[in-house]
Amino acid sequence: MRNVVVTGIGLVTCLGNDKTEVSGRLRNLQHGFVEYPPFLEDRNIPIRVAAPIPGFETNTTDSEDWTYPGEIRFRLEQLRGLSPNALYAHFALTRAVSDAGLSREDISGPGTGLYTASSGSAALTHHNLARMKKVGPMRCSPLGIVASIAGTLNFNLAAAYAIKGSTCGFVSACASSGHAMGFAYDEIALQRQDRMIVVGAEDFTLETIVPFSGMRVLSVNPDPDSASRPFDRNRDGFVGTGGAVALVLESEELARERGAPIYARYAGWGQATDGYHVAASHPDGEGLARAMELALASTGWNPGEVDYVNAHATSTQAGDISECRALKSVFEEGASPAVSSTKALTGHALSLSSIMEASFCLLGMSDGFMPGSAHITELDPEAEGLNILRETRPEAPRRLLSNSSGFGGVNVVLAFEKP
Amino acid sequence: MALTQAKEEELRESLKRCPERTIEAAIQFCESKDPDLVPTIVMGIIERFVEPEVRPVLREENDQTRLLEDLGIDSLLMVEIVILVEETLDIQIENDELRNLRTLGDIKNYLDAKIKGLPLPTNRNVLTFEELAAVMPHQAPFLFLHEARINGTEAEGSYRISGDEPFLEGHFKDNPVFPASLMLEALGQLAVLLMLKSESSAFGGDVDPSTIFFVSCDGVRCHKMCKPEDVLQMKVTLKKIHAPLAQFEGVILSHGAKVAKAEEISLTFGLANGEETSETA
Repeated sequence: MRNVVVTGIGLVTCLGNDKTEVSGRLRNLQHGFVEYPPFLEDRNIPIRVAAPIPGFETNTTDSEDWTYPGEIRFRLEQLRGLSPNALYAHFALTRAVSDAGLSREDISGPGTGLYTASSGSAALTHHNLARMKKVGPMRCSPLGIVASIAGTLNFNLAAAYAIKGSTCGFVSACASSGHAMGFAYDEIALQRQDRMIVVGAEDFTLETIVPFSGMRVLSVNPDPDSASRPFDRNRDGFVGTGGAVALVLESEELARERGAPIYARYAGWGQATDGYHVAASHPDGEGLARAMELALASTGWNPGEVDYVNAHATSTQAGDISECRALKSVFEEGASPAVSSTKALTGHALSLSSIMEASFCLLGMSDGFMPGSAHITELDPEAEGLNILRETRPEAPRRLLSNSSGFGGVNVVLAFEKP
Repeated sequence: MALTQAKEEELRESLKRCPERTIEAAIQFCESKDPDLVPTIVMGIIERFVEPEVRPVLREENDQTRLLEDLGIDSLLMVEIVILVEETLDIQIENDELRNLRTLGDIKNYLDAKIKGLPLPTNRNVLTFEELAAVMPHQAPFLFLHEARINGTEAEGSYRISGDEPFLEGHFKDNPVFPASLMLEALGQLAVLLMLKSESSAFGGDVDPSTIFFVSCDGVRCHKMCKPEDVLQMKVTLKKIHAPLAQFEGVILSHGAKVAKAEEISLTFGLANGEETSETA
């Protein structure tokens, strides 16, 4: 098994598009929430708060009306095949690749693969099908399918960047980009690829977020300063966001040989499933606990060696309790690592969450801090006994875990250590 | 028939990125069905979909401008254009008709026939390189046609200068220029093809390929040099027949600019099956 390291980070998030800015906002606990006008305009929508992505406006199905930074120019036929999430991902990918000191030519060879995660584009799927039913299939955009379906991310990126290694998209709801990261680790560790680009992305559109209202899992709290508050006793659901994050993973040997910047050693990962319910997590967090144990086993660490856990905790009543119980079953009483949920600052980015939070952990590790779990006024009694960080700790974690869980009871845990 | 407010708004919405003159023409067309409005509508729709860099090429309104090579319109973009044209003109374009549209001229002629309810021009007579090689007495490395088509007593053909042609090594030293004499040869070959494949009765029967030879060439002018990667776009037109002579006019363009012209190319020919050649035109 080869060592795997992270050498590049590219961000398109509600906390900003630049590493320094995002790192600063994580450290200072500055959230990305606003009262989002499209929610306010429709009285049937019970929620008000969301975390939009600065610099991007994609809340229309006409891709020629989207606004985005000028650093990438798209040809019309390219734009017609993009979903909002694939648009953001272009920026995340190019930023990550340049952050890793690589060129377009470097990533277009048999040694570099691309794993992605997005749930496709609900907005474009709806728009294209509605048009098909209105005017018939022969008058629908020929690229409507490519832009809409889950897979849009890997289709678009693999073609645009001439990726020649292994390419695949992962769909496991809110653990999707965790699976993409996990299997990308395997590709390098098992010597199938020397370098993997992993991209998670999710549309920031009304159509992606609002359907969760029907499940009663979104916060109806109208106050952007307190709507998302994982581990708080009075939390009432999650807040939606979107965006894209790309990470460049390389074999440690290759990275050292070319003198690449190394954010962290990607030490291993684990996954396990609850086998319990289609949507709800296991009440005792059984699957998540097993995923953490498997991640620890793959790294060879003892639980006591973990400094920090970035929790999946989305700010729903049931989910946060499951995770507290899972953490308590893995880490002995009195030996809890620092735990926080950065979703208090960003909200829940669904398929993007896992890799976005992994990137936040890497920024904390390289910039010397563990972000606090913001917006807790009264700690949930279930979290007692865990070392939930209420403030940012100005100290780099040496070893950390990043948790993710998704529909169907899937759980993925990623493990990183200081290089 | 006057447009309803709703229909006009719908039309303006779907044409919103087209030039204003196109939108106005489309609104008028809905009311009058006047075929003369179609070119303005269609050129504006194409303009809306092509990259800004090639719009000047489009505005030259040269019928020989090729959709893929000159305008960058690939098959998917073509479908987008077709959808908007169908919606605007309220017509249906079939997939197999679409395959025949390769140039701006093709589109104009096709839509003109379609709107007027005339028989559609077909590209049955487009010959690929393999088909040309099977028909022509000339063969590689001395066949200067890659693709050609016949329309009555006209023929259009193209030849892409690859740069690997052996004569370019010496014409000239370290400066490969396609010889003017071979441009005339290429036009002559296209005229040969026209004689062999024309369905016109002008030649008085089937021409025997082994009987065609060069006689004379007048009024030749070259305007521009062509180098590797350039495409010679040729056209020859039958002027008259004094059997056993046939006279043609030929012109070559490249990147939309005139490269060479021959006012009169004369070839001699005989008919297959020993038929007598006779004066017919």
